[in-house]
Amino acid sequence: MAKEKLREELLKQLSDNVVSFDEDKVAEAAERVVAEGLDAYDAIINGLAAGMEIVGDLYDKHEYFVPELLMCADALYAGLDILKPHIKEKEGKETLKGQVVLGTVQGDVHDIGKNLIKMMFEVGGFTVHDLGRDVPLEKFVEEQVRTDSEIVALSAMMTTTMMGMKKVVEMIKEKNPQVLIMLGGAPVTNDVAKLFGADGYAESAGNAVQEAIKMIGRLRELQKK
Amino acid sequence: MAQLASKERVLRLFKREPIDTMPCFSGQGMVTVPAIQSLGIRFPEIHLTPENMAGSAKKSMDMFEFDSIVVPFDMCTIPEAFGLPISIYEDSEDILYPTIPQKWRSPEEIVMPHDYLQRGRMPVVDKALNLLRDGAGKDKAIGSWILGPFTLAGQIVELDVLMKMTLKARSRVESLLDKLTELIIDLGKHYYAEGADYLNLREMGTGSDLLSPRLFKTMILPRLQKVFHAWDFPTVLHICGSTDLIAEMMAESGADAISVDHKNTLAETRKKVGDKMLLFGDYNGFTLPKKAAQEEISSSIQGCIDAGVDAVWPGCDIWPDVNEQNLLTINRHIKELGRSPSPAVGRL
Repeated sequence: MAKEKLREELLKQLSDNVVSFDEDKVAEAAERVVAEGLDAYDAIINGLAAGMEIVGDLYDKHEYFVPELLMCADALYAGLDILKPHIKEKEGKETLKGQVVLGTVQGDVHDIGKNLIKMMFEVGGFTVHDLGRDVPLEKFVEEQVRTDSEIVALSAMMTTTMMGMKKVVEMIKEKNPQVLIMLGGAPVTNDVAKLFGADGYAESAGNAVQEAIKMIGRLRELQKK
Repeated sequence: MAQLASKERVLRLFKREPIDTMPCFSGQGMVTVPAIQSLGIRFPEIHLTPENMAGSAKKSMDMFEFDSIVVPFDMCTIPEAFGLPISIYEDSEDILYPTIPQKWRSPEEIVMPHDYLQRGRMPVVDKALNLLRDGAGKDKAIGSWILGPFTLAGQIVELDVLMKMTLKARSRVESLLDKLTELIIDLGKHYYAEGADYLNLREMGTGSDLLSPRLFKTMILPRLQKVFHAWDFPTVLHICGSTDLIAEMMAESGADAISVDHKNTLAETRKKVGDKMLLFGDYNGFTLPKKAAQEEISSSIQGCIDAGVDAVWPGCDIWPDVNEQNLLTINRHIKELGRSPSPAVGRL
């Protein structure tokens, strides 16, 4: 019973301090999770990710903006770096949800949205193959084939660079139609995503986080059942 | 009713004087692949010489019946002049605008050479403006643009670093913005002297999908006001992305006109800024010139006009690989449908 109370207290600390972007306090709570022998994966999903879910809501309500998202992300990483090595083998097998290749397409060096998405995939237990920014289009295809990843996430911040995403979608779908492709970036609309043959899209860094949060949220719901 | 020359149409619009019909022009890039190909050059080459820059801009204007010509095309001229290496993608056959692979990690690392106007491709832009002024500029309006202080800061310092510093080291960001504001003021005056008839300040890194309206009000707006107060020629403030929450503040910037993209609720913005403010927007610069059906073009242009714009503008650079018929239809519809007075500008 005492352990359950401690667990709830630490989960709340992790979540609250991600929201208030207090890296030191997140790290402190994460260290305590490890020291007390609590479940690291539980702390990641129901502490750190739960906090980021609140952050996403605050973004939706126009209370938080991209600078706040980035600060919260730093706080989340402060906890994730401590907790991740302590996910137990058995839990690790349960939490490996798949692999994702992500990057910013050639001609675009804006990677804030890409990095936020990367964080959420890492939180969700995905193995992330981050190709970085200004990535030659063929590289996405090569990496997807090499890693057999289920998801490829592409980002472009400007109209002038988003056409590269269309080519990547075509090249990947031609080789493997089962791969899910997410597009992100300011110029990406529902129409553009459909036109390019993508499976999902997010139009801003905040929306990208929201989309990823929804995925993590569904994961948490499933785990509760 | 006498037809106005393109240049007069544009300049009268900025003065809110009656015109014959709505000009079709922009303050963003509108160079096109058909124009570039007709000159026998490749996309990377349009950024490198005054002749190619001015030539491809002018040819795009000629082919698609624009009322203005806009140079330059890419956002790297100033960072390059500061000494940051750029990627031109010279070997690529795709349409790739120049980028800056590595930016500075902190404002304190930035070098702003006093002679930056003589460095990199800054002289190319000057000479292109001169060529246009002395040629087509007699009848056509010459437009140019500069990034706003915050967006320019994000071109020279890593954007995530800059964004976080707005919360945890604000004075360092403000200090950088002050320096860039002074530079932008001087550069705008310089471009006007070199041949530009109007200047668009593109502060696209400050929409409400990125920064809070509070930060916009306290950190961004005062610098914009300083720029527009110092610029004594026709001006536009363009911000893309979410602008509904900051539209009124954009109108308080001192720019002659504000320009928004398709994420703005135009009709609401018109109500917020009143009928005297010049409002430009906001067709999608990719889907309409590239993919839209002809009937969709008409309704889209009419939608902008009905929402209360004084000039139908693309919300961003026009995607260069246009469908030729689409872009011609867009521009002809603007002139045809724009014969009635707009909220801020009457008709002859």
